Amino acid sequence: MTTFETIAKLIAETKDIDVTTIKPDSTFADMGLDSLDVAELVMNMEDELGVTIEISPALKTIQDVAALVDEQKK
Amino acid sequence: MIASVITEALGLRYPIFQGGMAWVSEAKLAAAVSNAGGLGIISAMNLNADYLREQIRLCRTLTDKPFGVNIMLMSPFVKDVARVCAEEKPAVVTTGAGLPNAYMKDWLAAGIKVIPVVPSIAVAKLVERAGAFAVIAEGGESGGHVGDLSTIALVPQVADAVKIPVIAAGGIADGRGVAAAFMLGAIGVQCGTMFLCADECAVHDNYKQRVLAAKDIDTVVTGKRLNHAVRSLRTAFTRRYQEKEYDPATSGEELEALGVGALRKAAVDGNLEDGCFLAGQAAGMVHEICSAEAMITKMFAEAETLLKGAPKWVK
Repeated sequence: MTTFETIAKLIAETKDIDVTTIKPDSTFADMGLDSLDVAELVMNMEDELGVTIEISPALKTIQDVAALVDEQKK
Repeated sequence: MIASVITEALGLRYPIFQGGMAWVSEAKLAAAVSNAGGLGIISAMNLNADYLREQIRLCRTLTDKPFGVNIMLMSPFVKDVARVCAEEKPAVVTTGAGLPNAYMKDWLAAGIKVIPVVPSIAVAKLVERAGAFAVIAEGGESGGHVGDLSTIALVPQVADAVKIPVIAAGGIADGRGVAAAFMLGAIGVQCGTMFLCADECAVHDNYKQRVLAAKDIDTVVTGKRLNHAVRSLRTAFTRRYQEKEYDPATSGEELEALGVGALRKAAVDGNLEDGCFLAGQAAGMVHEICSAEAMITKMFAEAETLLKGAPKWVK
């Protein structure tokens, strides 16, 4: 499973969203997630993936987050 | 005297913050609260850098005590007002309606204590990691932007989840609320609604009268559909807004437009028809207009009596 797929699955499970609708270029706003949801997701992703994700305005899409996670795992 | 880590760290007489309320929390009110021994807070609201700088400088002429600035993170001027804080260096910056992490580095470098308002454990943990001095755990009883959790459920969970101090907010307007907050694991309180009725609060008298007239069930939450839930007094405006909010034919843009300027109409113009009078559920506990000092001293005298009397419950 790629990092993107892992993140998409996590979002789908925690926010009750159809996983097939989550694309690499989906933004948090596209998925109807507010800052509270994003904070929750970040904590969940950190637990699941064993990384630290610093929230910044540069993180707009799921692919942005996946790239950050992959970078840390190198 | 009720002392805690927050009174010691900030040099306060009482562990109370006055909430940052748009069109309400101006320099005069903030200075009055700080002069009374609490932490007054200026709201940067949706206005620009010049307004905030002017308010900070005015506050410094009215008090030599520490005060804070509240940054509303959805403001179109958020970057500018964040920079003003780093330059003017108020003792404290509180934040609301989002995650402040992008701005915290500059504030911390300026020696400011950053104390974000948090509606959940996840947000509290993220800001703790970014260097927050404390968090304000605000329950949905509060006025203005609200989360879903109640104060009584949120405060102990946040207190368990973070190592930094927790300040309780939402539904607190007397000594009973203060005593309860300490029992829930908080080391201080933030109050907004009661200060609407402070002598030094510049809101229109109609606003104060509406708060005084409010009963327990007289507030309502609108804006959930836009992910911007806010609590305000139930009025002609909120009734019209709710009709539109639950009408599928009304677009999100129309709904957004309906709310623009409504708080200003309430606070500045006292417009009872079109104004949105933000207030928390504690509005029903506010019964008089008096000075900020009188409010705070009465509140903490009551809290002290209650906390000293607590052993009577333990047999």
